[in-house]
Amino acid sequence: MDFWYALVAGLIIGAIFGFILQRGRFCMNSAFRDILLLKEYKLAKAVTISLAVLMVGFAIFAFGGIIDLNPRPFKPLAAIVGGLIFGIGMVLAAGCASGTTYRVGEGMLGSFVAAIGLTGGALMTAAGPLFEAKNTLQDIDLGQITLFGEFDTTLTPVWMIIVGIVGLVLMFYFWGWPAIKKKREANEPMIKMENFKEATFKKGWPWWVTGIAIGIILTAGYIASNGVVGITGGWMDISQWFTTSNIMVWAGFIIFGIILGSFLSAYIGGEFKFRVPKDGFTLVKQFIGGLLMGFGAVTASGCNVTNILGGVPQLSLHSIIVGAFIVIGCWLAAYLLFMWREDREPKEKKLKAE
Amino acid sequence: MIIQKLNNKTKKKSWINMVDITDTLDCTGDVCPYPDVKSKRKVKKMKPGEVLEILIDYPLSAERIPETMKSMGHEVLSVDKTGDSSWKILIQIK
Repeated sequence: MDFWYALVAGLIIGAIFGFILQRGRFCMNSAFRDILLLKEYKLAKAVTISLAVLMVGFAIFAFGGIIDLNPRPFKPLAAIVGGLIFGIGMVLAAGCASGTTYRVGEGMLGSFVAAIGLTGGALMTAAGPLFEAKNTLQDIDLGQITLFGEFDTTLTPVWMIIVGIVGLVLMFYFWGWPAIKKKREANEPMIKMENFKEATFKKGWPWWVTGIAIGIILTAGYIASNGVVGITGGWMDISQWFTTSNIMVWAGFIIFGIILGSFLSAYIGGEFKFRVPKDGFTLVKQFIGGLLMGFGAVTASGCNVTNILGGVPQLSLHSIIVGAFIVIGCWLAAYLLFMWREDREPKEKKLKAE
Repeated sequence: MIIQKLNNKTKKKSWINMVDITDTLDCTGDVCPYPDVKSKRKVKKMKPGEVLEILIDYPLSAERIPETMKSMGHEVLSVDKTGDSSWKILIQIK
């Protein structure tokens, strides 16, 4: 890929992606964790809707011969271990790979520390002390398997478009339609045009806007690079650019774009502020979380963006397993960190009362 | 328009001053889920009628805490943006 093309296209697509991430507060860590912790489903719904949009988007451009689909080969052991460790890591780091990156642009020091951890962990696993461990885990390779059998350049996009459209229809029926009906009954206008500017630049977006926007921009990202957009690879690319004579490529510019876009979005919305966690130990935790995410991402051949937003829409079995274990790891860590103690507290009090 | 805005502002302020704040929860510097979890735990320990002031600088939680509190049955007295990425939320326990 030409350097100038990577620079311009990478920065533009990254910046729009970053803008959407910041406005939509789109973080898979929050999305998955808060299903369990706060019984809050908006971000999880945004993830699902973006997946359906991506399925349809990828399939259309694959049919048009503009992009080549390339689902990850199924490495079961790597998917399970990598996904689980990534999931635990993102709770500690307080953000998934994309969430951490956009929060750097919001001025959060903790997220920057987590991003450095992520880069370090990824480098150690890609070519360092953890290289052998990764190779052992990736040993079993079952090839490009999708949810509907072996990957096929014509059949897989057909399945993608079917699953995507069925998904969109179901989501509209169960989530969209009730909301529209409620608005109609309350006699509220569907779209308030006079608040358009404020709603776009100053407030958090509704989950369905975020989901659709993520779906569109990542489809554009696939078209521009003929590959899935990734976060971890981008951070590794930046570190190589710092330390070796390599010039930066597409993935690195995406990261710079995300940080730039998220900064602009936060600045316009009055949400940019340099923030440091009060408790210094939080930074240590975030760094360790980053390291775990880095190891998990390289082992599972991709972070949450590459696997969940890039692989799952291609119905890759590998990415679906990684995604499932990211969720399990996330819930496990969230339970141990935030709920376990709370569950025990009332019991202790009872004991004291007795 | 501007006068109206100013009026709204002064109204809000004077109204806030009338409320006695029982306790303050400072969540500045915390990212999710800490502000959400902390405020939930705090509110559970407080008595009906008391007012909790939550200081927060994390956008997602600032949008979400008022909703969570409403769904828990408490009254959200006000959500004020006090500066760049800084909010002050007043909750009355029911």
